[in-house]
Amino acid sequence: MKVTYNWLNDFVDLKGISPEEVAKKLTVCGLEVEDVIYMNKHLHDVYVGHIDKIEKHPEADRLFICQVDVGFKKVQIITSATNVFEGANVPVSLDGADLANGVKIKPTNFRGVQSDGMFCSGEELGIDENYFEGAGVNGILILPSSFKAGEKIEDALLLNDVVYDINVTPNRPDCNSVVGIAHEICAIFGLPFKDFDVSYKTVGGNVNNFVSVDVQTKNCPRYMAAYIKNIKLERSPLWLRSRLFGVDIKTINTMVDITNYILIEQGQPMHAFDYRYLDGKKIVVRQARKGEKLSVLNGNTYELDEDVMVIADENKPVVIAGTIGGVNSAIADDTTETVFECAVFDLKSVRLTAKKFGLRTDSSARYEKGVNINSPTLALRRALHLVNQLHCGEIVDGIIDKCSKRLGESEILNISYSKVCKILGVDIPKEKMLQILNGLGIVTSFKGEDILVCKPPILREDIKNANDIAEEVIRIYGYDVYNDMKGGLFENCTTTIGQFEPRLVMENNFKNVLVDAGFYETLNYSLYTASACDKLLIPENDERRKVIKIANPISEDMSTVRTVMAHALLLDIAYNLSVGNKDLRFFETGRVYLPKELPLKELPVENNRLSFAVCEQGYDFFQLKSVVENLLIGTSLSYSLKRSTQPYLHSGVSADIVAEDGKIVGHFGKIHKTVLKNYGISQDVYYGELDSDYLASLPEKVYATKEISKFPAVERDIAVVVDEKIDNETLMSAIKSACGKIFYDVQLFDVYRSEFLGADKKSMAYKIVFMSEEKTLTGDEITAQVNKVVRTLEYKFGAKLREI
Amino acid sequence: MKKKLEQIKENALKEINALGGLKELDEVRVKYLGKTGELTTILRGMKDVPAEDRREIGSLANTVRESIETALSNKWADLENAQLLADMEKEKVDITLPSTGTKKGSLHPLTRFNNKFMEICVEMGFTVIQGPEVETDYYNFEALNVPKNHPARDMQDSFYITDNILMRTQTSNMQIRAMEKMKPPFKVVCPGRVYRNDSDSSHSPIFNQFEALVIDENIGLKDLMFMIKEILKKLYGEDIKIRVRPSYFPFTEPSIEIDATCQMCQGKGCNLCKGTGFSEFFAAGVVNPKVLEMSGIDSKKYSGFAFGPGIDRSVMVTNKIPNIKYLFRNDMRFLKQMR
Repeated sequence: MKVTYNWLNDFVDLKGISPEEVAKKLTVCGLEVEDVIYMNKHLHDVYVGHIDKIEKHPEADRLFICQVDVGFKKVQIITSATNVFEGANVPVSLDGADLANGVKIKPTNFRGVQSDGMFCSGEELGIDENYFEGAGVNGILILPSSFKAGEKIEDALLLNDVVYDINVTPNRPDCNSVVGIAHEICAIFGLPFKDFDVSYKTVGGNVNNFVSVDVQTKNCPRYMAAYIKNIKLERSPLWLRSRLFGVDIKTINTMVDITNYILIEQGQPMHAFDYRYLDGKKIVVRQARKGEKLSVLNGNTYELDEDVMVIADENKPVVIAGTIGGVNSAIADDTTETVFECAVFDLKSVRLTAKKFGLRTDSSARYEKGVNINSPTLALRRALHLVNQLHCGEIVDGIIDKCSKRLGESEILNISYSKVCKILGVDIPKEKMLQILNGLGIVTSFKGEDILVCKPPILREDIKNANDIAEEVIRIYGYDVYNDMKGGLFENCTTTIGQFEPRLVMENNFKNVLVDAGFYETLNYSLYTASACDKLLIPENDERRKVIKIANPISEDMSTVRTVMAHALLLDIAYNLSVGNKDLRFFETGRVYLPKELPLKELPVENNRLSFAVCEQGYDFFQLKSVVENLLIGTSLSYSLKRSTQPYLHSGVSADIVAEDGKIVGHFGKIHKTVLKNYGISQDVYYGELDSDYLASLPEKVYATKEISKFPAVERDIAVVVDEKIDNETLMSAIKSACGKIFYDVQLFDVYRSEFLGADKKSMAYKIVFMSEEKTLTGDEITAQVNKVVRTLEYKFGAKLREI
Repeated sequence: MKKKLEQIKENALKEINALGGLKELDEVRVKYLGKTGELTTILRGMKDVPAEDRREIGSLANTVRESIETALSNKWADLENAQLLADMEKEKVDITLPSTGTKKGSLHPLTRFNNKFMEICVEMGFTVIQGPEVETDYYNFEALNVPKNHPARDMQDSFYITDNILMRTQTSNMQIRAMEKMKPPFKVVCPGRVYRNDSDSSHSPIFNQFEALVIDENIGLKDLMFMIKEILKKLYGEDIKIRVRPSYFPFTEPSIEIDATCQMCQGKGCNLCKGTGFSEFFAAGVVNPKVLEMSGIDSKKYSGFAFGPGIDRSVMVTNKIPNIKYLFRNDMRFLKQMR
């Protein structure tokens, strides 16, 4: 909401209060002033000048030497402009001026002749033809002869105001107006509100003879109309143009400008129709019929339907209610009679229309915030007052007022004084509280010791209970009261025992393991492109293809809710490689969102996962495997590894982590070459993922230790030659069971392949550790056991003992 | 005899003292104490010593032997030490060569901040809870006193999935879920991601919030202020100054925003705080009694307050991060600075 200092001054005497102080206090009391704009910021050192004499520059054909009277002195200006003439009044910028287009003025020498400054165009002053006649010409702005030489240009052109851009919160629709903000200022500074003039003169006749209003929809609780004849459409006076210019509203003609003036001053949208085009002299407020169309003032034509409320005449829609007027009834240069509309439309209906057409106007924006049922009463009269003031038409007697709601009275609230103090935790003196509330226009008195009888102003629909009153009191009383307040932190709070969420604790452990292993934590968006599944080669029938789509995405690459983690880290790797970063180890904790069915009827499962990826010269599957083991060692998960079928992993260099109950709780391995290509990555990437929710659901790991044997352990190495297809895990478990009771440990320490062993053969060398808890083992016992192991491997796998 | 012994002692000690290597040391030992060594020879000749002197001479001989042995072993230790020092000198390394082994990675600055914030809250008796990001309109808006078509919905542009389901725009949904589930009095804190359908240089469409809710008897704005002050002190030290501005949130009344000494410039004034020395830290307020009632909490008996810091901004100022986009860009050159 933009308002100006001078405009506010119409309603509250701001003498002695600087524009900055107003801004500061408004912010402190809840109307945040986001910007303070000085309309004259680029107008200092610019004056009205009178050109006394023009001569040609002796050395330059296109330059003229002008002798100019700027009131307090005579100056010489060199110009190339051709539209200036002797006797003209023009804006003259002198030494020190800093114009809106960035030009800084200082005396300059043009081929031996001194120029004390520069004449200005409208553009250089930051104004256009719309604001001031002549400001749009290609040349110097020629000012009216009535302007006095030496006057500051900001005063002459009424560009001496200060504009506030105020962030009005949704609970305060009343403050979407100059009047509403002026009321706040009165309360804050303890000043009286200056009532505004709503008187006007009529010329007889009867509005009902000219127009009738028929409200056929419940979305229009109030519709007021007045009739004005013999209208004269002119440029509005400068003071009015200045106000609308300050708040960024284009001026058009007196009649339209009045409706916009009321919009800003009273917060009440209005509309003016050309009476000629109202068929049947009728205004019908109704929902549109399917198939109706309306061409409106922004140049578009909209197809209407029953959701859209319109103002129609007997035959056709003429306005999209509360939003924008139709071309077919707009005020034109030759309009002579008009109907003024001043109405309340339901905010939901206006909002729906705005959303449907993607169309938001100053008017609809105001309606969407909620216009009070009482608002048109004064607003229409104020508008008619302006019609008189600007002499732009004759007002016919009478106002039409179709209203389906009770007007005028606001509900009286009984609020406990002590409750208000309790909510605030501050004992505000009774007198002070009364003063603040009454200052805000909330008419308040005490009934008995504790009850405050409050009657809020009719436009303050947001005040309903003790909390609302508490807020009104404290924002004016000042939050500084809490700064030096004594008292304990938990004075009133019950002691509770704090607790972390177990999954977060576990994830933090994971994070520490990964950080120690050289990984960097990343943060990625959980919305991604619809093509992620394609890039990751996820098959069509995969559950993860059931992707939740955002109905109104901000862009394609954030159009779906992720079902796969890998996409994000692959993008991170691709990005980092592209900027020349090397040796990448990343991880992320995040969610995938798995719908039960689409379209979504109930909320999806949100599965928390941990993902990690490495892109580094020389990294391999087994290094990644060690990371996985180090992560899982801290949990109570017992698991086995199975070849993974993850489509985005290399089928030969990847594994699924399978829990005892058969659930796959993670996977890891080398990223599929095609996937790498899809992400534009030209190096190998290793990737892994764990299901944090599953792991957090496991019981905490319990540590139970055993006695350390008193007897020594004995190590023996064996190497066996086996077929390639026999894996280490199989051999190790065979060794373990063949060792019987004295088995202690077995470790693979070498894998060897050569042509002497034969194709598809490998030598696997193991260190077997034997130990007994009962005695020292003899060499013979161990040899016997080793022989048994070798025989078993021969028998089961055709293994051949190899000498080492 | 006596004299001879004294002489041996004197000679031996002198020789030992003059030795330079372990090998010579052994030679000296053999010379005096060996099977045919000087002292051994003398001791062997003890039988020729008259019986009355034997005791005295014997005792003296022992003393001499002990002195020589002690001197030998001291010299031995000295020489060995010298050898060790010499060896170590040879093994000396350039300690400025780079370390080997795995270098630590880093936690994301957001995680660091979240963890610190959660720890402070848990110490104060808060329970950490998390909940859905894909949320129903009811929990995200309606139960928070933002009915359909309410102007307050303009404050938060939402990513919709269906008419009734959306990406949550605030972690405040967890207020409602906590109130439905937990019996007052309680304190909960809910970190999480939120989504808004707007994006520009200072906003990311996905960002992080923290929601803290306290429901108890007899609590109000003052208790809220004390708690927020305490948290800010624990985060940024005792000297932090705060400033309160009235604000509006549909689910709290009164609603406030709390600014604190800008951590980017320590209150001196910078671009981030637009020169004011204060930057925004918390949105907060007393829970609107309507919201309590909607979630089944007796508003006559209980009251509550809620607060939430703007996490991403706090992370930024805490770590002096020059651009909010760094938080989601995952550039190693940035992440490495967080080690």
